[in-house]
Amino acid sequence: MVDLKMQDGRIISVSVGGNPLSIIRALEDGGPLDLIVDTARIDSRPSRLVIERNGIESIVHCARVGDRWWIHLDGQVHVVDVIEPGAVDASDSEGAFTAPMPGKVLDVLVPEGAKVREGQDLMVLEAMKMEHRIAADRDGVVVAIHYKTGDQVDAGSVLLDLVEDE
Amino acid sequence: MSQLDWMKDAPHPIRSVLVANRGEIACRVLRACNEMGLESIAICSDADFGALHTEVADRVVHLEGESLADTYLNIEAIIAAARSSGADAIHPGYGFLSERAAFARAVQDADIIWIGPPAEAIESMGDKVTARRRMIDAGVPVIPGQEIIDSDDENQLIDALVAAATEVDYPLLLKASAGGGGKGMRAVHEPKNLQQEFLAARREAQAAFGDGTVYIERLLDGSRHIEVQVLADLHGNTVHLFERECSIQRRHQKVVEEAPSPVLDVSTRLAMGNAAVAAAAAVDYSGAGTVEFLLGSDGSFYFLEMNTRLQVEHPVTECITGVDLVEQQIRVASGLPLSFTQENLNIRGHAIEVRIYAEDPSQGFLPATGPLAVFRPPEGPGIRLDTGVREGDEARIDFDPMLAKLIVHGSDRDHAIRRMASALSEFVILGATTNIGFLYDVVSHPAYRAGETDTGFIQRHYPEDWDAPKPSDVLLLIAAAAEHLGIHRKSGDMAMVDDSGRTTPNDPFYRLNRRYP
Repeated sequence: MVDLKMQDGRIISVSVGGNPLSIIRALEDGGPLDLIVDTARIDSRPSRLVIERNGIESIVHCARVGDRWWIHLDGQVHVVDVIEPGAVDASDSEGAFTAPMPGKVLDVLVPEGAKVREGQDLMVLEAMKMEHRIAADRDGVVVAIHYKTGDQVDAGSVLLDLVEDE
Repeated sequence: MSQLDWMKDAPHPIRSVLVANRGEIACRVLRACNEMGLESIAICSDADFGALHTEVADRVVHLEGESLADTYLNIEAIIAAARSSGADAIHPGYGFLSERAAFARAVQDADIIWIGPPAEAIESMGDKVTARRRMIDAGVPVIPGQEIIDSDDENQLIDALVAAATEVDYPLLLKASAGGGGKGMRAVHEPKNLQQEFLAARREAQAAFGDGTVYIERLLDGSRHIEVQVLADLHGNTVHLFERECSIQRRHQKVVEEAPSPVLDVSTRLAMGNAAVAAAAAVDYSGAGTVEFLLGSDGSFYFLEMNTRLQVEHPVTECITGVDLVEQQIRVASGLPLSFTQENLNIRGHAIEVRIYAEDPSQGFLPATGPLAVFRPPEGPGIRLDTGVREGDEARIDFDPMLAKLIVHGSDRDHAIRRMASALSEFVILGATTNIGFLYDVVSHPAYRAGETDTGFIQRHYPEDWDAPKPSDVLLLIAAAAEHLGIHRKSGDMAMVDDSGRTTPNDPFYRLNRRYP
């Protein structure tokens, strides 16, 4: 059984078995999902699987980087995250603004304690020599700013905390 | 390697070339040197140890340091590298120092052959005001525009900005005087955004080019961006190699380029080609260059600027004309005449190039990073890939996000489009997000197929971010099966990537343990 998180946020527990492999159990929110009748088998070349859908075989490329499976299917790339047991999903901590990519803080446009309006620019980041503006997604108060001009930030770093105005 | 017969009559013979660049263009130029029997010499910074371009070269000179200023933008260090390696000539590629007249001069002052246009031509075309005057004198039509004189006095600067903007009128475009590649470029539709966008453009220009001078031009929405390739030798021969259409742009960064243009008729093509030759001749140009025009909906065209270097999108011209532009650049620099005349040149078929970027089209096209855990380009007839990376490399934040250029050549535009769509769907890059899916969507779009390729294309058809395809439930089977089978633990390429995504030492015990999960 492996817990998988899809790009649309659904978390589904999946068991596979048999030869060729097929899904023998899939649970979403504790309830069973309709079984997918497709099958998958290993391909002798690295980073590939062969799947069969409605009697038609196709080659799928896949690679795991960190906890993420990258999958090239029918000309498109998708990602599916593996949720390791005990892992905490930190992706939606409320009120936090995170850096969308690694880069440098070019400018902090508001002081701590500032009241800001939805759409107002808060910070300017630079990555790949292009500027990207971080704007407020709601009216509120900037309660903390975690970086100053010139600081390097990693993707996912919490830049500042914005609390909704009462 | 001593097949240098073609060089025996050259006034300035070249035996070895140092390529002052990195990435795909360094690979492109170094390969041309290898083909011509010249010794190819690469340079590399600390961060580029083991990069593809260092493998393509016969020799590598290491420039100490990580920053661009210490390495690829360091004129003294590059000339010292050319001297120590005995290079006869320097090819600058595009970007970096390719359009710095000071670099061209320093190379020649060091008695090294400069594979590029004369420093005076770079200067004339690099300074937009001079270029405009020269073009007006040469009878080439220009767009309304104004330069803003940079000043340390903030108030004076803003006054000059507002005056210039009012003169040019809205909507307008702020452009870095020294610029290119969309950096330092901003569209302004209303006066209230002018100051903020100007300051941003100036900062970007300063950071990217070391020169914060910004220039204002009328923004002609819905117009087409068409550029003409020219080649000139030192014997007074100047030819054009027809046009490229580069109208599919995002934030003024080119995304899809093609040749010939889907809309140009024979007489406009001829008029534009002649105007490009006149523009080059007006500045005593030599080598390869590109004259950019905006084509209005009424068929009128305006000189935008001349790029005094090889362009990123030069391969589409090579496909349709059969001319190797880098080979011609090297021939011209050695003093040989062009190996053909205008009458020898014809358009054969249609070529399209797309730029594969490490970026996320569904998240505002933000740059993406990550390991290229799988990198399998398409193959087959009429497909060309120019890249500076290979499987196992990393998409990094410190340089341009362009990973590769995919170029296809077909018998006509429809054929080329179908070939591109098919090639894109075969292109597998896993580990870093790319724009491949978005590019597939663009070239499959009915409006693109109909040739409706003006500069507003992406904004019009993708006003919000691009919607990535919806995940289907079969992905559950694939991910669970891959996990169950331990695809990531199999020997081979993926055995080298551990769970944190970092490569690990090739430890036999590690692999033995992991092979039987």
